[in-house]
Amino acid sequence: MSASQATSKVAATPASPLTARIAAEFAAAHAGSEPQRQDGAQALDTRPRVAPQALRARREAALQALMDSGLPTSRDENWKYVNLRPLEKVRFVPPSGAARPAMTAADLPAAVGKSRYVFVDGVLEPSLSSPTTAAGVVVTSMKVTAAHSTAAGVAASGVGGATPIVGAANDDALPGDLRFALLNEAFATDGAQIHVARGTDCAICVELVFVATAEGKAGASYPRVSFKVDANARVGLIERHISFGSDANFINCAVDVEVARDASVQHYRVQQTGARAIWFDTLTAKLAENARYQVHTVNLGALSARSTVYVKLLGERSEVGVFGASVGGKNQVHDTFALVDHIAPNARTNQSFRGIAGGRSRVAFNGKIVVRKGAHGTDSSQSLRGLLAGTDAEIDVRPQLEIYTDDVRCNHGATAGKLDDNMLFYLLSRGLDRETALRLLKWAFLEDVVSKIEVPELRRQIEASLAGQMNESAALKELL
Amino acid sequence: MLKIDNLQVAVGDNKVLNGLSLEVPTGEVHAIMGPNGSGKSTLAHVLAGRPGYTVTGGSITLDGKDLLALEPEERAHEGVFLGFQYPVEIPGVNNVYLLKAALNAARKHRGLPEVDAFEFLTLVREKMQLMKMDESFLSRGVNEGFSGGEKKRNEILQMLVLEPKLAVLDETDSGLDIDALKVVANGVNTLRSPDRSVVLVTHYQRLLDYVIPDHVHVLVRGKIARSGDKTLALELEKRGYDWVIEEAA
Repeated sequence: MSASQATSKVAATPASPLTARIAAEFAAAHAGSEPQRQDGAQALDTRPRVAPQALRARREAALQALMDSGLPTSRDENWKYVNLRPLEKVRFVPPSGAARPAMTAADLPAAVGKSRYVFVDGVLEPSLSSPTTAAGVVVTSMKVTAAHSTAAGVAASGVGGATPIVGAANDDALPGDLRFALLNEAFATDGAQIHVARGTDCAICVELVFVATAEGKAGASYPRVSFKVDANARVGLIERHISFGSDANFINCAVDVEVARDASVQHYRVQQTGARAIWFDTLTAKLAENARYQVHTVNLGALSARSTVYVKLLGERSEVGVFGASVGGKNQVHDTFALVDHIAPNARTNQSFRGIAGGRSRVAFNGKIVVRKGAHGTDSSQSLRGLLAGTDAEIDVRPQLEIYTDDVRCNHGATAGKLDDNMLFYLLSRGLDRETALRLLKWAFLEDVVSKIEVPELRRQIEASLAGQMNESAALKELL
Repeated sequence: MLKIDNLQVAVGDNKVLNGLSLEVPTGEVHAIMGPNGSGKSTLAHVLAGRPGYTVTGGSITLDGKDLLALEPEERAHEGVFLGFQYPVEIPGVNNVYLLKAALNAARKHRGLPEVDAFEFLTLVREKMQLMKMDESFLSRGVNEGFSGGEKKRNEILQMLVLEPKLAVLDETDSGLDIDALKVVANGVNTLRSPDRSVVLVTHYQRLLDYVIPDHVHVLVRGKIARSGDKTLALELEKRGYDWVIEEAA
């Protein structure tokens, strides 16, 4: 199939120069068969790599949806904090694995738990991974799944068995903005598909590490996770994003989560990409009856990080916790948009954010809760707090509520400000040096969120990283 | 010995202390009394180095060392302790962590190694027993959710662990019921020794029934208007402050 035939299916209306280039890159990349990696990743799966038509159709659908909607601009209210300019320099096609730097386990953060899957520029690296042995837990590389499905005569469902993003994007009940997830769908070549069987109990179950190595001009990294948890299971998932080397990576991550009835999930997400990295992220989650999902996000790295979170509470008495901590320094931008959609009655939301902006950084958290007609008995609370720790830093915390039913309880609180002078003086008067006192207070500020991390080893690692990050961005003195 | 000489302090354009002079020899307990707005708390804060006060004249020395030249934490290292009238709540900072960090900061200044974990806990438990504090206090955030009385006890606990050279207690008796007052007084009395000085800032005579001062000073409009022994406190209790204010006028 020629490039022109491929593009013919994707009408690049109303093409901005950027989306037109995306379409052109897509067409060029898919002109032949699936792009293949020329590295060790192939060792895992030696079967002939077929690009199933269904997968291709799905990618094209995603691309078409993206062309129709266009990428966000800074004029979009929900995107005004994100620096979208780096997109102009990015090559959207994943990099060829050929130029990848050599990496060993020593280059990665210490593993938490026994099973770990490492993805390099979005593609599974078996030599760095240790597969799970937990009963009831199946982790599959999506790349392999596609081939398997074809071999078994089952229509492959795109990048693995992941829920198609186009479907989710068209879902009226989810008034979300999945444009970057569509971009992921169009280009991702691999990802982690995790299925947890009914009744499984696995507290620290799987750890995913996504390592970005490529320079954005050479190619983009598309981490993809599809996480399905069956009824009555109780699991924990750790998801990390890091960089290897100091290139300006472009990372565009898409994660979808489904939690079945009576299941309980702890999802830990740590973004520690490099100082020049551009990180986009879209997380969608659906909760069934009496399901419990807690997502803990710690944002430390990247030059610019944007996370878009959509949680749908579809089942009665389902419960979601969205906990975020973000520490920005220098000229970093951290922006999170988190929407929880209460569709079923008697569901609960707990949204809690603590952000510290030092140096010239900008830290934003936009937390929105929609209570739909019929979602009576909704109980939601939002506590969003920002701390300004640099003279040119910016904090923006915004709780939003949209309520279309009676009989709900929705609390919200948002504050943005400096460290409390009285607290500081109290600590100094006890003999603590200024540096220690400031660090302690910033620490205490984040503690509300960090203390909810129930995995001791992970918490220890995160606390160590936070301590390091805060030490660097201690421009606080100027303010006090 | 604490020596304050002709101290003048302003808060913004407002002159609060107007040439205050006071000497507290080592080993003595002095009570500073006075009507509202006479500058009692300002004196306590200025001794500890709280920002927001401008010293426009005079001097403060502790054993010959110029306190005004020191940062709050350096004053603490020199042995100054301020017991707050309104102890600050710091959620997220553990009580026991603060105690240990404060003790180690003081030890570091004296050239001593960090305190041994076991010795530290033994010391803290002993002092907590004295202050009739439950062990659960240790694991809570600093003053977080403490009642007024618990906060004051916690201040005295910190003082007992840090063993300051000069303890300045700012209305530590306010808001205490009689049982708590006795516990707090007992804590202060424990600390009394020939090598320590205590400055008790108080509005009422009540505390002085339990902590007997060597001297009592009455502050009026930012100056010491009258000094005496413990009987002065009793007289103030009976007659109020008006007569001292009139005398000072």
